[in-house]
Amino acid sequence: MYEMSLELSDADLVLRIGQGHDPDAESEVCRRMGPRIRLYGLRHLRDHAAAEDLMQQVLIVVLQALRAGRLRESEKLASFVLGTSRMSILEIRRGTQRREKLLEQFGPEALIPTSSWAPRLDHERLHGCVQGLKERERWVIVMSFYDEKTGADVARFLGVSEANVRVIRHRAIHLLRRCMGEGE
Amino acid sequence: MSCGHPIDAAILADYWLAALPSSEEESVEDHLFDCGECGARLAEVIALAEGVRALVREANLLMTLSDEFVKRSAARGLRIRQYAPPAGGSVQCTITVDDDMLIGRLAADLAGQRRVDLALCNQDGIEYARLADVPFGPGISEVLFQQPIQFAKGAPSQTMIARLIGRDESDAERLIGEYTFVHTRTIPGPAAF
Repeated sequence: MYEMSLELSDADLVLRIGQGHDPDAESEVCRRMGPRIRLYGLRHLRDHAAAEDLMQQVLIVVLQALRAGRLRESEKLASFVLGTSRMSILEIRRGTQRREKLLEQFGPEALIPTSSWAPRLDHERLHGCVQGLKERERWVIVMSFYDEKTGADVARFLGVSEANVRVIRHRAIHLLRRCMGEGE
Repeated sequence: MSCGHPIDAAILADYWLAALPSSEEESVEDHLFDCGECGARLAEVIALAEGVRALVREANLLMTLSDEFVKRSAARGLRIRQYAPPAGGSVQCTITVDDDMLIGRLAADLAGQRRVDLALCNQDGIEYARLADVPFGPGISEVLFQQPIQFAKGAPSQTMIARLIGRDESDAERLIGEYTFVHTRTIPGPAAF
C-alpha cells in the first residue's frame, strides 16, 4: 500500500478503479482524499462528527463514480472530489436529522473518527506560547479563534484598521507556530 | 512529493476563519484538494486554533479582557468572581473552588494615553509580570484583567499590587493608578506554592 501511494498518480488510480474490481486502488483513494475532505468539512461545518459524515458520504459517491467510469478526465480526481464535497455540504446541512437518527441507533461512539485528524498539541507549551504574545496579539488571536469575531469586528473593537488586524493576526500565528516548533 | 507553492500558515488561518475573499478561498481549496502537504499544515493551524479555544475556556491565561467578554462568559453560566479596588486603594479578596474566572477591574482615566501597560507587583512593589500595550478604545474608563484561575486557587494568602502605567508622546512612563488586592486563602488545604 505504501509503495502504491508513492508510485501511482491520481490519474493512475482513477484508471485502475475504472478498469474493474481493485480494492487496493480504492483504499489508496480513501487514504489520499479522506483527510482533505474531512478538513474541508471541518472548515465549513465546524463540527468533527459532521465532517466525518461528509468524508464518508463523499468517498462513497466518488468511488461509485470511479467504478462506473464516470470521471472522464482521469487527472481531475482532486477537482472532482472538491466538487462532490461542495455539493455534499448542502445535503449534510439539510440532513442533521440523519445524524440524530444514527446517534439514536448506534450511540455517540459510532461517529467518533477512526483516525486522528490533527497533530496533538502540547497544551502546556501552547499556554506558554500564548502567554508570551504581546497583549494586542493575544487579543486578536482570542477574538478570532475563540470569539470567532470577523476582522472588521476586531478592528472596530481595537480602534485599528482591518488590514492592521490581519497583520497582527499573521504575526501572532507565525510567532505561535515558531514557539510550538512547527513550520521550522 | 514536496509542494511547489506552499500556502503560508497565516493564509491557512485566514481560510479557517473565513477571512479570505471568495476567489482566494476557492483557489486555496483547489490547492488543498491537490496537496497533502498543505492539508497537513492546515490541520496544524486548526489544532492551534482549537488549542487556543481550550486555553481561553480554562480561564488560565493572564490577560486583559473586554467587559463584553466577561458579560458573555457570565451569560454562558460561568461563575465569575470580580474585584474592583479604587485607584490608590485596596480590596480584600478570595477565591473558592466553585469559581470559574477571576477578574480584576481597574477604573482609570485613560484619555491622552498613547500606550497603557499593566504591571503586576508583589507586596513590596517589585514587578513580576507586565502586560504591555493593553488595547483600549476611546471612552474606555476601566481595564479588566484575568488572573489565571488555577494559579489563584493554588495561591497562599498574599498581597498583589496592580499598576496601570501610561506612556505619553515622549514615551515617558507615568503611573495612572495603583490598586492593591489583599488575597486571603479560603480553599481548604495547603497552597500550591
